[in-house]
Amino acid sequence: MTNKYYEFFCPVKVIAGKAALEHIPFELTGLAAKRPMIVTDKGVRAAGLLDPVIAACEESGLEIVSIYDDVPPDSSTTVVRDIATVYRKEKCDSIIAVGGGSAIDTGKAVNILVSEGGDDIAKYSGAGILKHPLKPFFVVPTTAGTGSEVTSVAVITDEKKGVKLPFTSSFLLPNAAIIDPRMTLTLPPHITAATAMDAMTHAVEAFTCMAKNPLSDAYATAAIKKVSQSLLSVMDNPKDENGRLELAQASTMAGIAFSNSMVGLVHSLGHATGAICHLPHGLCMSLYLPYVLEFNIESIREPLGELLLYLEGPEVYSATPAARRAEASISAIRKLRDALHKRCELPRTLKETGKVLESQLEAIAEMALDDGSIMFNPREVTKEDALSVLRRAWA
Amino acid sequence: MLVKRLQPMISHARRSYVELMFQVMGRALQAISEVDEQTRNETRALPEGFLFEMQVMPNGPKLIVEHTGDGKLHFHGDSAPRPVDLSIQFKHMAHAFLVLSFQEKTSVAFANDRMLVDGDVSYAVRMTRVLNRLESFILPKLVAQRAVKEYPANLHLPEKLISGARIYLKVATNFVETVRA
Ligand SMILES: [Fe+2]
Repeated sequence: MTNKYYEFFCPVKVIAGKAALEHIPFELTGLAAKRPMIVTDKGVRAAGLLDPVIAACEESGLEIVSIYDDVPPDSSTTVVRDIATVYRKEKCDSIIAVGGGSAIDTGKAVNILVSEGGDDIAKYSGAGILKHPLKPFFVVPTTAGTGSEVTSVAVITDEKKGVKLPFTSSFLLPNAAIIDPRMTLTLPPHITAATAMDAMTHAVEAFTCMAKNPLSDAYATAAIKKVSQSLLSVMDNPKDENGRLELAQASTMAGIAFSNSMVGLVHSLGHATGAICHLPHGLCMSLYLPYVLEFNIESIREPLGELLLYLEGPEVYSATPAARRAEASISAIRKLRDALHKRCELPRTLKETGKVLESQLEAIAEMALDDGSIMFNPREVTKEDALSVLRRAWA
Repeated sequence: MLVKRLQPMISHARRSYVELMFQVMGRALQAISEVDEQTRNETRALPEGFLFEMQVMPNGPKLIVEHTGDGKLHFHGDSAPRPVDLSIQFKHMAHAFLVLSFQEKTSVAFANDRMLVDGDVSYAVRMTRVLNRLESFILPKLVAQRAVKEYPANLHLPEKLISGARIYLKVATNFVETVRA
């Protein structure tokens, strides 16, 4: 499994901690940006999360020129074009995306249009099309899970053709990611749980899949430790600012890990399930993680065993014989899922979701085999393999 | 000093080897798609007329195959009749050599950033599985284990011997045909 060669890249400035938002004006000025536009969604605005961002800027004499707050959960080419039109009309010179995966992806796509010109975002779809840096772009995540603030990918739906357009370029990476605990304080329990399990899965897959490397390993293990230590205490005490910050940082660190070493079968199955049964991504991750690890176990015994240290701490790790650690890591993840189920009824099986039919498993397996992330899974996966994992995850 | 003198020879040998392997693989892809049902199950999902290319960047050797329908692949040599639909590109001749001399698994090469995919990733995933299947068919088991992530459990010896021989045979006749043409 050792890789003799790897690449690692993350040029995003991370601005994290107490009063992080107040650094935005200074950072914008440093990039000669004076007329920022905020891209966000209605939920973020309704939760009052824009107020501290706007206040932080106004206090420094920096005016937010325009706010677009109508990003849908699945952003589309039309939305991107509309926002780009407003950006140009208002003569903005930079973008601040405030939100979860969709708002961030939309911000990335808008940045392509306003930097490269034109109205047709589809033209820039694919890998390596962009050849120049884009406009100043900041991201303020309001969920702790996707890690989109440190990935060079955006996915936008082309409604007319009914396809999802992928965009990949290191120029999509924001100049800075601002991690402020105020932004995740009001996340409802089941979203806190599901998004944290997404971050956990990013880290576990980054650490156990084929493209793992020493640098991404360091980020992955640190992220797993933070989620393991903080998730349940945040579930019990949602206003715990320190715990919230730990989860937000874990999400960013897991994002850095997986964007450099990719993910595997949990994501292949999760993407397919999301597309077919419309289950939230984080929930799918939580559903499949232990079953996929069981499927992969003989190929990943060593790294998975190592994770026990970060999942359960040094006492449990040292008390567990080396030969049992991989299984113990899976048990630790199951235990965490049980605890989350107790606290917010986060489903642990496909049946518990009430939104998946047993007759759909075949289609999910079929679709998962076409997912790009399956290439990096440590074990080769046939359709029968995928189906057997799905059946185990069923009930 | 020695390195300086040897380098052009190594580069030349590497290039020749990669060119030859692309020829062999192209013909073998065509052959395997005619004799192996499991390969056809994968390739059938490709659109008809779909052009697949493997190339060494920036202008190195190429392999182009076309899906002509019902899972059958046709080898086009190194020139495509029209723009290709999916391209897997090695970043350097040295990386192509690592993979094509079976020192680095195809999946590992992807994981190690040795190659780029230009086109629909789901088709790339499919073609990687076809390449794995091909490698386990035409190579001795020991080498094949190094080349693919997992040696298929359902590839029994007689099947492998027979099909492997048939593929070699087909590759050979195809070579002869080319020489004659
Ligand atoms: Fe994810």
